[in-house]
Amino acid sequence: MRTLLLTLSMLSFTACTVVNTVTLPTPAPGEVFVTAGDIAQPHEVLGLIQVQRSGVLLFGLIDVVGTDLEAGFKEALMPEVKKMGGDGVVRVRYHMTQYTPWAHALGVIFFFIPLPSQVVITGQVVKLRG
Amino acid sequence: MRLISLTLALAVTGCNATVHGSRLSNVPIDTGGIFLSTGGAPKPFRSIGFVQVRGYGVEIAGMADVGNSYLDGTIRGSLAAEAARMGGQGVINIEFEDENPSTDLERAQRAMGSFSNLLSGRGPETKDRYVTVTGEVIQFLE
Repeated sequence: MRTLLLTLSMLSFTACTVVNTVTLPTPAPGEVFVTAGDIAQPHEVLGLIQVQRSGVLLFGLIDVVGTDLEAGFKEALMPEVKKMGGDGVVRVRYHMTQYTPWAHALGVIFFFIPLPSQVVITGQVVKLRG
Repeated sequence: MRLISLTLALAVTGCNATVHGSRLSNVPIDTGGIFLSTGGAPKPFRSIGFVQVRGYGVEIAGMADVGNSYLDGTIRGSLAAEAARMGGQGVINIEFEDENPSTDLERAQRAMGSFSNLLSGRGPETKDRYVTVTGEVIQFLE
């Protein structure tokens, strides 16, 4: 019974949630807009896009390359859309590697084994008409 | 003999894992709080950002879930709270995945294994559980 209680209490302390966000500015003229849905305005489809950034977390914490949502959207996706001549991206889907604090702590302890990390964003690049 | 029957019954029913979450917001919007939808918005809006939440929990002895690996807790709790913190009024195009749900058979196996463990003075069997939710945070223009 003591073992059970100890196990339960330890497990309750290990539960957690990891949250990552990216805040995008209101699109100004010439800036790229991004939406996970569709748009009502007439537009021309320029093509599909997938950006992927892979790297490692040094010492379980230091994201050298930038493999989070912030870097994925602002440093990878949006410049690429501009390069394609698009006004924005619709039907965006994304996924980044998320580690629990427990995994980060293990990464610090076993610092000689970097944690792999990745962000992938896909979408359809569009140019507004009119 | 009963054990064999039970095992057979579980083997027949135990291949599917189903996860349920409670309903999200109605359209038109009839309650306060953060608007939550797996589809689009019912009113004009502007997008202010994106969120990804990964809830982690532990399933104990195939019966109890401890932590934040519930769809409801992750969507209505963490996702909505983060959207509010970003200044959003809603989260649309929500996508979710329970990464490793247990089948009935797996739960039963862990329950039996835990029972056996407890009789021999060891702890119950556990399984790490993860649920990932993403969404687009919006502000309504009206």
